[in-house]
Amino acid sequence: MTGFLEIQDVKKTLDEKIILKNINLDVKKGEIIAMVGPSGSGKSTLLRCLNRLTEIDQGQIRLDGEDINKISPIILRRTINLVHQESVMLTGTVYDNVAYGPSLFEIINKNHIIKCLEDVGLNLNYFEKDASKLSGGEKKRVALARSLALKPEILMLDEPTSGIDPKNIEMVEKNIVNFSKERKLTVIWVTHYVEQAKRVSSRIANLKDGEIKKVMKTSEFQWEGVY
Amino acid sequence: MGGGILSGIPYTWDEGLVVLLSVSVLLLLVIIISVIKKIGVGKEFTIAIAKGGAQLFVIALFLTFLFDFELWYLLIWLLIGTMILVSGYTSAKRATNMPRAYQITTPAILIGSTLVLVVLAVSRAMPMQPQFIVPLAGMVFGNSMAICSISLERLLREIRVNITAIETSLSLGATGKQAMEEYGRFSIKASLIPTIDRLKTLGIIFIPGAMAGLLIAGTDPRLAAEYQIIVFLMIVGGGIVTALLVTYLSRKRIFNDAEQLSEWVYQIKK
Repeated sequence: MTGFLEIQDVKKTLDEKIILKNINLDVKKGEIIAMVGPSGSGKSTLLRCLNRLTEIDQGQIRLDGEDINKISPIILRRTINLVHQESVMLTGTVYDNVAYGPSLFEIINKNHIIKCLEDVGLNLNYFEKDASKLSGGEKKRVALARSLALKPEILMLDEPTSGIDPKNIEMVEKNIVNFSKERKLTVIWVTHYVEQAKRVSSRIANLKDGEIKKVMKTSEFQWEGVY
Repeated sequence: MGGGILSGIPYTWDEGLVVLLSVSVLLLLVIIISVIKKIGVGKEFTIAIAKGGAQLFVIALFLTFLFDFELWYLLIWLLIGTMILVSGYTSAKRATNMPRAYQITTPAILIGSTLVLVVLAVSRAMPMQPQFIVPLAGMVFGNSMAICSISLERLLREIRVNITAIETSLSLGATGKQAMEEYGRFSIKASLIPTIDRLKTLGIIFIPGAMAGLLIAGTDPRLAAEYQIIVFLMIVGGGIVTALLVTYLSRKRIFNDAEQLSEWVYQIKK
């Protein structure tokens, strides 16, 4: 089956150092695929290539059959949205942050913004709070709501729950899995925690030294060779 | 030979050499203090004063010739052209990582300064005589250069420090222009603050250069004050246009056509 997102023979170098090589991966629509691997294995760089924050040196990436280089980067980044590992808050309130993406393109639907905040467990009391003054975990959740507000087709999460307390990790994981099912949202979930990968994904890809070493069904996942 | 435009000075330029020599006792003072207190600026100061003094005398000789030259309006372009190029290159040094930064700073300073000079000429604040054009153009270009440098330096620092926030904005679908808008505003404001602060303290803490010069030349203090205000309006006007342009032109270098941060931006030191 041809993937909704197809990654073929991708290579990426930075300062003459090979960061990614021979990356081949098909991701189906509505699927949650987890990416696990040690620090520096190229997971974050791969996500940055997928939404064209940086360009690949070789290979091709196709979204629904179309080469991503032929899609406007602005449209592409809304469609394949990245929640960065470092949840930097933009200037303003929590509301300003979540409304930022939609405000660039359309008139903001306030109910939609409220819903996105509720989906990550943040109630109305957070609305007018200065986003820069939130805790690390709260910032993570605002960053997630900020991305959900764009209604992406593919959500790329780079360590989305690091710094969040266990109770809210469970809630965030559950909500994302539900969104994926309800909205046919494709999710690429980068995590250090194999246990988390097993909880949320249907497949797990193991990245090591810039290469995908294995892609396996979560049910068949084995620790051997990972990390 | 008389005292030229500064006719208020009660001696000629050659008599002035003796005066200059007498005042050079201050140079000796700097050297002595520097040696005794081991400050280590004596040599540097001596070289700087010799270099700066020589440059001033060269320009003075050129101006002496220019002011008496019938076709001065042809020759003045040489001087203004040099001012533009030197100020553009000097300001570009602030952006060490940015490739060909002078291609941004030079037009920014040129356009900002020219606009102001045109306003001065049209409003008759600057009579079309070399005695007015040269010093006023020098002041405009010099200040636009300083504002351009501060603006560019601040912009690049803001971009480097906020690189993750900018990438976050890009990831949320912002264009490069939208992603750096806030930092552009900061840099323009920062570049104008020193001038605005000077404006606030005008006449209280110090009497600024242009007014001081006019007073020495024997101008009515009220006229000198008016002219000083014109000079400050000229500096702020030229400065804001220059800062705006340098920010605008930098954006085209900071981001590429794919709305990505250019590779060199990641090399800027924090």
